[in-house]
Amino acid sequence: MTDQIDAWDQLLAAANAGDARAYARFLEAVAPVLRGIVRARGGSLGEAGCEDVLQEVLLAIHLKRHTCLPGAPVRPWLYAITRYKVVDAFRARGKHVDLPIEDFSDLLAASAGPDPTEATDMAKMIGMLDGRSAEIVRKIGLEGFSVAETGRALTMSEGAVRVALHRALKSLAALRERHLE
Amino acid sequence: MKTDDLIRALAADTVRQPALPGSLVPALIPSLALAVLAVWLGLGFRADLGAALVAPVSAARILLTGGLGLVAARLALRLARPDGAEGMRLWPLAAIAAAAIALLGWAWATTPAEARGMAIVGKTMTTCLVTIPLLSVLPVATLHVLLRRGATTAPALAGLLAGLAGSGLSAAIYALHCTEDSPLFYVTWYGLAIAGVTLISTLVGSRSLRW
Repeated sequence: MTDQIDAWDQLLAAANAGDARAYARFLEAVAPVLRGIVRARGGSLGEAGCEDVLQEVLLAIHLKRHTCLPGAPVRPWLYAITRYKVVDAFRARGKHVDLPIEDFSDLLAASAGPDPTEATDMAKMIGMLDGRSAEIVRKIGLEGFSVAETGRALTMSEGAVRVALHRALKSLAALRERHLE
Repeated sequence: MKTDDLIRALAADTVRQPALPGSLVPALIPSLALAVLAVWLGLGFRADLGAALVAPVSAARILLTGGLGLVAARLALRLARPDGAEGMRLWPLAAIAAAAIALLGWAWATTPAEARGMAIVGKTMTTCLVTIPLLSVLPVATLHVLLRRGATTAPALAGLLAGLAGSGLSAAIYALHCTEDSPLFYVTWYGLAIAGVTLISTLVGSRSLRW
C-alpha cells in the first residue's frame, strides 16, 4: 500500500512536470481506488450513477492538479478533492453523504471492484458543448485520436486543438456545476 | 462515456495552469498601491503622519489592521489548496481581535466618562465607513480571483479570510489619512467597516468559490 502511495506521488510529480504518459498512468491508478470509495458510499445511485460521480471527481482532479503542493504527498490532496466533489455530487442528486477522512485509509485497500460501467452524464454534457469542442473531446476520448490526428481531421493546428481541448474540459466542469444545481 | 475514455481525453490536455503563488501579498501590491494613491490624492495623508507612526496608540491601529490583513492573507492562501482546510488554526486572527478589544477596554477605562461619547463618535465616522469598504473592493476582488484559481474545500471561510485580508490592509492604508487616534473610535468604526466587507466577501465566496 505504501508503495502504491509513493508511486502516486512520483507519477503526479512527473505529470506536473509535463510527462503526459505519467499523467495518464496516474489517473488510471487512482480511478479504481476512487471508484471503490464512491461505490462504498453511493450504492443507492447505481453503478452508472457512481461512475458519473467518479468522472466528476476525475475531471475536478484534472482541472485542479496545479493546486497540489510540489513535494507534498499526493494522498491528502487527492482525498480532499474527492471528499469535496463526492459530497457535492451527492448533494446535487438530493442525497446526503458523510465522508469522514478515516474512511479513505480503509477503502484504499479495498480498491477496484467490478468492471466499470458506462456513465451517462458526461456524454450529455459533451452534447451541450459547441460542435467543434464536442468533436475534439469525442475524437480524443472515444475514438482514441491523438492531438495531431485530431488536428489533421479538423484542419486545426495542434496548438489550437490543445487549447480547445483544455477549454472544453473547463466548460464541461462548469456545465456540470450548472446542470446539477 | 467510459471512464477510460474520459481519462484519455484528460491526459491529452497538456495545457498547464500556473501553480499557486507562495504568497498572496505580491498579487495585492497593485491594488494596495492604488489604494495608497487614492488616499493620498483624494483625502491627503494626515499632516503629522511621521509623529503618528511612532505614537503607540495611533500606530497600534496600523499594526492591528495590517497584521490582521497579512495573517488572513496567509490563511486564505492555505485554504486555496483543497487539503488546506484540514487542521487550520484560526487563533492568530482571534488573538488580533482580542488585542483590539483589550485596547478598546483600556481606552474606555482611561477616557473620562464625559469624553467617551465624543471619542466614540469622532468627527469622521462616515468618511471612515465609506472609504474603507471602497478601498477594499479591489484587493478583495483580487483575492477572490486568486482563490478561484485554487480549489478551496471551504468556500465560505475562504471568502471570509479574503474579506478580512483585503479590508484589514485597506484599513491600514486609510489610517494614513485618519486623525482619529482614540481606540474608542478606530476599534469601533474600523472594526465595523472590516466586519461589513468581510460579511459580503463571505457571502460572495460561499457561492463563487465553489467548484
